[in-house]
Amino acid sequence: MTTISSYSPPGRLTDLSDFGRKAWDVFVSDNVDFAIKGPDPGQVLHDGPRSQFYNLTKTDTAADARTATVSWTAFPRILKVHSTSDTQRWKKAEASRKAQDEYCEWSVTRKDGKITRATFTCESPEYWDVLAKTSPETVLRLYRRFISPDVQESDLFVNGVYDRSNKWNNTTTQGAMHLIQKNNTLAAEIELAAAATIRRVIDGTELTAEQELVKCSDYGQAERNSDPHIGGSVNALARQKASISLTDPVGLYFDGLSTEGWVAPDGSDPQSYWTYERGDTEHRVRAVYEVPASKNFTVGDITINGRPIEYGAQIADFVTIKLTAVACRFGRSTTEPQTACKQVATTELARPEHAFVASAFSAYGYLGTAPERALRPTRNA
Amino acid sequence: MPEEFSERRRATAWLQRPAGLFAQEHVEDDLGAGHPALRAGRLYRRVSGVDRHAREVGPEELAALGDPMATLFFRRNVFPMAVQDLLDGLPDAPDQPKVYLVSEAGTIPSVGAPHLRRDIRFAITYAVRGTEADLMISTGANSDPRTTFLQVAAWDDTHQVFNYYMRIAPAWVWTGNSWDALTPGSRGRGCFDSHINGSVVMKELKQPWPNWQSQSAAIQLAEDDPLRDNPLYQRVIGAENLETTIRSQINRWTRARLRAVTADGTVQHPDHLLRQLFTTTAVNLTSTATQSASIRPGDDPLPLPMGFWLNNDALLDDLELEVEAAVPATTTARYTHSLEAFGFRLEEKASGFSRPGDTFFAFVVPEAALEDNTVVRVLCEQGLISRKFAACVLMVDFPNPVFSPDRARLMRYVPTTATAADALGDQLAHRILDAAAELPADSPEGRFAAHWNRPDATWRTDFSRRLTDYLEKVQQRITTEEGFDDYVRLAESRRRRFKAMKLNEFELTLPTTDIPATAAQLRMREDATVEEAEAGGSSVEASTG
Repeated sequence: MTTISSYSPPGRLTDLSDFGRKAWDVFVSDNVDFAIKGPDPGQVLHDGPRSQFYNLTKTDTAADARTATVSWTAFPRILKVHSTSDTQRWKKAEASRKAQDEYCEWSVTRKDGKITRATFTCESPEYWDVLAKTSPETVLRLYRRFISPDVQESDLFVNGVYDRSNKWNNTTTQGAMHLIQKNNTLAAEIELAAAATIRRVIDGTELTAEQELVKCSDYGQAERNSDPHIGGSVNALARQKASISLTDPVGLYFDGLSTEGWVAPDGSDPQSYWTYERGDTEHRVRAVYEVPASKNFTVGDITINGRPIEYGAQIADFVTIKLTAVACRFGRSTTEPQTACKQVATTELARPEHAFVASAFSAYGYLGTAPERALRPTRNA
Repeated sequence: MPEEFSERRRATAWLQRPAGLFAQEHVEDDLGAGHPALRAGRLYRRVSGVDRHAREVGPEELAALGDPMATLFFRRNVFPMAVQDLLDGLPDAPDQPKVYLVSEAGTIPSVGAPHLRRDIRFAITYAVRGTEADLMISTGANSDPRTTFLQVAAWDDTHQVFNYYMRIAPAWVWTGNSWDALTPGSRGRGCFDSHINGSVVMKELKQPWPNWQSQSAAIQLAEDDPLRDNPLYQRVIGAENLETTIRSQINRWTRARLRAVTADGTVQHPDHLLRQLFTTTAVNLTSTATQSASIRPGDDPLPLPMGFWLNNDALLDDLELEVEAAVPATTTARYTHSLEAFGFRLEEKASGFSRPGDTFFAFVVPEAALEDNTVVRVLCEQGLISRKFAACVLMVDFPNPVFSPDRARLMRYVPTTATAADALGDQLAHRILDAAAELPADSPEGRFAAHWNRPDATWRTDFSRRLTDYLEKVQQRITTEEGFDDYVRLAESRRRRFKAMKLNEFELTLPTTDIPATAAQLRMREDATVEEAEAGGSSVEASTG
């Protein structure tokens, strides 16, 4: 194997122009390079460089390469831990997109109180930033197609700048075009994966468990499904002294929906009402659960182990999200483990809400949506 | 490996019973004393407690088994002796098989524990006929596949039961079906010591699925562990997926069971159903979502599992009571202090292993079993009992969601003979009310009567307020030294009850503490204080005569 020529758009989507594709490649490549370098050692100790992480466009993927898919449940674990019942956690998750922090967000359409449609997305906000910068007309077209024909350009762009959390994408009822929860960014995913390649030997013992690794390396929140699991899985590859990267196209994808225990009123297969709307067959980024109008029932009439679907969150319990890493050169890394946990040397770095790296556009004369805040993304907020 | 565990799970906890009592039972239960020599290419039957010893299954009996093991293998004279042979004999199906990994020692680093056996097991599901799993296979992962245990629960769609099989080389043995779990002679015997109510089991059902490889924790293998090259290991997925399968399977069997026992409008054995409301026939194990070794004093507060405080699944979800209190959480300093104060350690006497500290995930305790709660929910859905009736029962001694002698005492009023299905709930309520008239108000009967007499318009609100008040009192006590220590002792008391069940197979499932095994059983009070429990049990076997 060899290097790839460029990073592809997530899900190999075809929305971008040639120019947009180049910008996307720069965005991903820059983020990977940034993550490899790690934070300024003058500010953060024991967190870089991440020599076992590599850029697919610059470093060979060797012949011994193996891929590792990491998947997790879409429902936010934090809500689970802090709720007294399933009903309570479902309500909390449905109350705000801000609660949906497992790289999956959803919105629910109801008729007479009963769910008729639930839309799930795992598309990164950065992709939409690039799309909005390079093909704003496409953004409007996609919103009209997937959210509502009533969407207006002025709803999406404020003073010519794309608003991620516009009114058609900031609720759990009006539609979900892409991720907006502040930790659900692609840059954060890349940073997390890179930081997790650092092996930690503390007091002579190598850390191997998910939660102790995430606490020591501080690349996410221990109470999430995603962060510790991604970190633990990547670190397990690093402990095999391999070189690691995220596979192209870098992104978060739907792994699937399990419908075991689901029953439709007419005996039809509940799985058949789950459809993907965006992304290629291996990299699905948008999914809808909806019963065709020809049926005389809706999503709210389907039961899960006897209980009707009253919340989109009940569906999220059965949705899994994934990313895929690639590892190669097993046993050949000479990187020594860190013998201390990550430490912030001086003041804590700012935590950007918009984890967009401006250099994605700099080479082409553009700046990102918030270049002044283009700092290292984290999942710790 | 001790000889008694050949082709069986290495149930280390059973070795610690007096004189290895349970382990010996297990050996005897498999085939029965005096059984004939097993012949290759044969299916035998041995239902413990029913058949004195194993015998060959006749052609008519085999024809009556409708699950994939019978139809795809045994009727065709195919007798797979290893798990891969079994899987190879199944028709291709999308995304099948699904493979899971479990080990009580799986998260203990091998460094410092060189003699600790990992005893890693595969749990494998396979949907042969549709989207629901038909086969649930359990087998050793790091042992010779032809000599390690190989057991199968197979769904028979024709008869709507699970059939249970085990390979005992050179043959296979049918060890009963779901109904045998409920029949007095075989209840609790053989494979029904863990498939207590006839369904498949996953003790650690909920997140973080302690002991299972999952999105919450990985089973650690040495770099050169040959298991890494096992094709089944390379298919392992997280236990979060198995949870959905097991929930669905328990629901499947419970609904089939209820359909069958109410088909003619009469319930022949109401006690068989209602013991799952009044008593603790089984438990699941729950825990915090936090890795115990990562907890440091000063970390964020540690929420303890809701199932420790009350039967939240039944009361809050199925019966829809609403509490406004938060999940009780202690300080991490209290938790870490308790580990030293009570001498928490992981201990496997069978191998001489001992290590200070709690289980991998902190604070593992038994909670109300999904298989019990599912029966209650379906009883309500089908109108055999009302939601108010179920709530009135479960609110008796609600701070003790498992092993409650008070609720178990009410079992004596449950009819043991045929009863009209639509009259069951009312008839039972009136029996308890009649008894309550002659008993103190604080008796279980009196408390049930007080609940039952609440107006239909307010009982939910009243019960919800009591639950909220209780949880708020717990929160007040849990951050005090005395309060948290009480809850540690209460947890250990409940763990001891679990350890006495045959469901407890492995020593490393639960922590060991310095609290004496002879310490008094404890119970929680509604004011969130803990007191010694009066002598008595809550198992159905102890409460019905």
